Formats: sequence, C-alpha cells, structure tokens
Amino acid sequence: MQQALPFRDWLTTAGSGGGGRSAAAAAANANSVSESTIGDAGSARKLVAENAVVVFARRGCCMCHVVQLLLRGHGVNPSIADVDEQNEADLADELAKIAGDGSAVPQLPAVFVGGELFGGLEEVMGAHISGELVPRLREAKALWL
Amino acid sequence: MNSTSARFVPSKRMGICEPMHQMAMWDFKGNNFLETSPPSMFEIETNLDNLSEDTSHGTVGPSSKYDQEASKSDDKVRRRLAQNREAARKSRLRKKAYVQQLESSKLRLIQLEQELHRTRLQQGQYVGGGIDTSQLGYSETTNPGIATFEMEYGQWVEEQNRQISELRSALNSDMGDMELHIFVDCGMRHYSDLFTMKATAAKADVFHIISGMWKTSAERFFLWIAGFRPSELLKQILMPNLEPLTEQQRLDVSNLRQSCQQAEDALSQGMEKLHYILAETIAEGQLGEGNYLHQIGSTIDKFEALARFVVQADHLRQETLQQIYRILSTRQAAQGLLAMGEYLQRLRTLSSCWSSRPTEQT
Repeated sequence: MQQALPFRDWLTTAGSGGGGRSAAAAAANANSVSESTIGDAGSARKLVAENAVVVFARRGCCMCHVVQLLLRGHGVNPSIADVDEQNEADLADELAKIAGDGSAVPQLPAVFVGGELFGGLEEVMGAHISGELVPRLREAKALWL
Repeated sequence: MNSTSARFVPSKRMGICEPMHQMAMWDFKGNNFLETSPPSMFEIETNLDNLSEDTSHGTVGPSSKYDQEASKSDDKVRRRLAQNREAARKSRLRKKAYVQQLESSKLRLIQLEQELHRTRLQQGQYVGGGIDTSQLGYSETTNPGIATFEMEYGQWVEEQNRQISELRSALNSDMGDMELHIFVDCGMRHYSDLFTMKATAAKADVFHIISGMWKTSAERFFLWIAGFRPSELLKQILMPNLEPLTEQQRLDVSNLRQSCQQAEDALSQGMEKLHYILAETIAEGQLGEGNYLHQIGSTIDKFEALARFVVQADHLRQETLQQIYRILSTRQAAQGLLAMGEYLQRLRTLSSCWSSRPTEQT
C-alpha cells in the first residue's frame, strides 16, 4: 500500500552497513560534512555548535537510521556523529553538559537541533506527528523552505 | 443502587405499619434519574415497567372535613407516589443490569472461544514449519513476564469489550459532550495501558510480543511491528466512520496520515536493517564448524534493539491517537474509539469462527 514515498530515494539498500556512511553518499544537500567519528568531548561541543542538526549514535545503530530517515524526509541533512563504544560513557556525560546543567544523561541516538538537545527517536517522532518538528527545524535554519 | 432506609411508622388510622422513606429521597437522584436516564439500546419498555410496578403500598384514607386529616391524606398520596416512583426506578435498574449482564456474557462467550483456539494453537494442534509447538507453548507459559502479560491482556480485552458497549449506548443516547468526554478519556487511557503492558512484556520476551502470539490469528495477519498500522487506522477504520469533518479537520487528518506513513516507513526500514544485521551476526564465521557460542552471544546482545523497536512503534501509535484526539470533536473521538474497538472485535470473532470451522480429516 505504501509505495515509493519521496524519501525512499535517500536510502541505499538495507544491505550496506553503517547507516551514516551510505547516507552521506546519497545526500546531495549543500549542508556541511555529514559524518565524523567522535574521539573526544571537545569535538562533540564543536559539532553541536557548528551544525544545525547533529545526531550522536553508535555505529550501525538501527534507531539512528530511523532518525536519519525522518529528518531527511523533511529535507534536512543531519550531521551524524559515530560514537565509539569505549567513549560512549564519557561522551554521554559531555552531551548532558552541553544540554544544560542538571540534564539527564541522554540515551543514544541523541539529536541536537540548533545547539540544543532535542531528544531521542521518541522525541523526534513525537514532534513529527504533532507537527512541531518542522517549525523547530526552520528556527534552527536547518530548513529554508 | 440507592440505599433506602425504611422506618416503620405505625399508622394510627389504619393500624398497619408502612415503610416511610426519608424525605431526602425526593430531591435525591431518584427524581433526576427518572427523567434523564438514557435509553439503552435494549429498549427498556417504560410502559411495561409502570404497569408491573403499579403497586399500592398503602390505602388512601377517606377524605375528611378536618384540615388535619386532609393534610394527612395528602401526605399519604405523596408517599404512595414516591413509593411507586421508587419501585419503578428499581425495576428499570434491575432490567438494565440484567440486559448488560446478557451482553457481557455474549462477549465473554466469544472471548472464551478465542482462548480455546489459542490454547489449541499452543498445544500443537496446528503445527507449522516442523517446530514442536507444544514445547514452544510450554516454554512460553513458564516465562513469568509473559504469563502475567497474557493474563493482563485477557483482562484488557474484557474491559475493552465492556467499554465498547458503553460507548455504543452513549452515542445512541442523547448524552452531552461533558459525559461523553469521560468515556473518551477512558478509552484513550485504556490504549495507553496496553502500550505500557506491551513494553514490559517486550523486555520479558520480545519475540512473543513481536510475533503476535498473544493475539488471535486474524489480528496477527494484519500486524505491523506488534500492533496496528496508524495510517491504516486513520484511512480504513476512522475516516469512514466519523461524523462529517470540517475543512480544517480534513486537512489535519490528511497531514497526520502522511506523517504516519513517513514514520512507519522509517521504522520499517530500520527494522529491515536490524533484520539484516541480526542475520549477519548469527551467520558470522564459517557455518559448518559446529562451534557457534560466540555468534549466539553477539546476536542475543542485539535483541535489545528489537524491544526498542516495539516500544517506538507503540509510541508512534500513542502519538497518533493523541493527535487524532486533538483534531476531532468529543463526539467524533467517541465514534472513532467505537469504530476501532469494533474493528478489533470483528477480527477476534473472525479468528474464532475460522478456528472452529469444520476441518477435513485426512
């Protein structure tokens, strides 16, 4: 019943590993570099500050894949930050600090919009359904239309 | 039922005892109930009630010239009328209760048939793919999380059937929006409860949930990630059964449906990817060496992601329901819940009838 929705074009076959990499190849938007591997906390802060939409996720995470699809469906090209298992705990703490004092440590995948922590897949999907996602994306200058 | 306290007042005139109701009865719901009691779909024949309950508890005293006696007989008339009203009301309540009991018994019967079918399934009457289903059934019932879930779900279905009947009566009556709102909130919360139950059960055994073993066969056929597909719900079940929508509502529903389809597609593709990764993980290394503990371990590690998908799919359902709730009027929301509920009932009954059809013996 549901066939050929526009953003299926963004997707390469399910067979390829590492959602971030294949997505980077498919994306044609003028936005910044789509992917990087987070080695230290400092680069996390930089990513969040410099990009309208950043997604922190474990490599090959399927939830991250879903988040990317949702965002791309709106014409946004999010920056994907692959998180190493070793750094995960440290990074999560750093993300909590970026999010603000007293914030809970976010679960991965974690989405930052306009320098602020937006949430995980649940929050993105909730906003997508309620119609709140697009205005937020526009505010963060992730969308021009 | 109202509790009535009866005091026996010896009547000086007639020398008999008659029960006297508290004066409070007059202003109490007793009166209001009589006037605005919603006619249930089972058509309470008020005429019949009045006839059968036209009892006289006392006799009217002979009219008297004296004021004192005149007011006494007035009292008696009033008392008798009150007693009649009370008796009629009680009779109507009894009848209503009886009919409701019949209705829920009918639904219980259908449910029992489904349970019977499910038990048959678990006991291996229908064998599929060469798997020893009786063993499957055994291991599942020993998982306490799943056993709890199955029991709670059975209760959930019973409660839903009851709510559906109530909704049906409510919509057929001239109930106002304020009261209808209560039923709608009830229905919404009920679905919310189901999602909570499923999340807990998915942690206990995600395969039981995702395979739909807890549902009847027809429901299982239509399953999408352990539940209904929101866009399908909107298009096939809700839209055709709602009171005419305003232009704005039409637009909102159309947008919602599109959002649902996008979200469903994203989740489906995520699931496909997970499917591939799991297949890859279990098949890792040379197949044929007979040594695969490592692969088992790494695959099991990834099962947690499956449970998250179930939770996210349910979350999508929850969000969709809430958005629908925002878009529709109270009455439309009630119609929507009724439509959803009956749709599920139809599927369950379908499964029941299918499983009890005469099968050819080979």
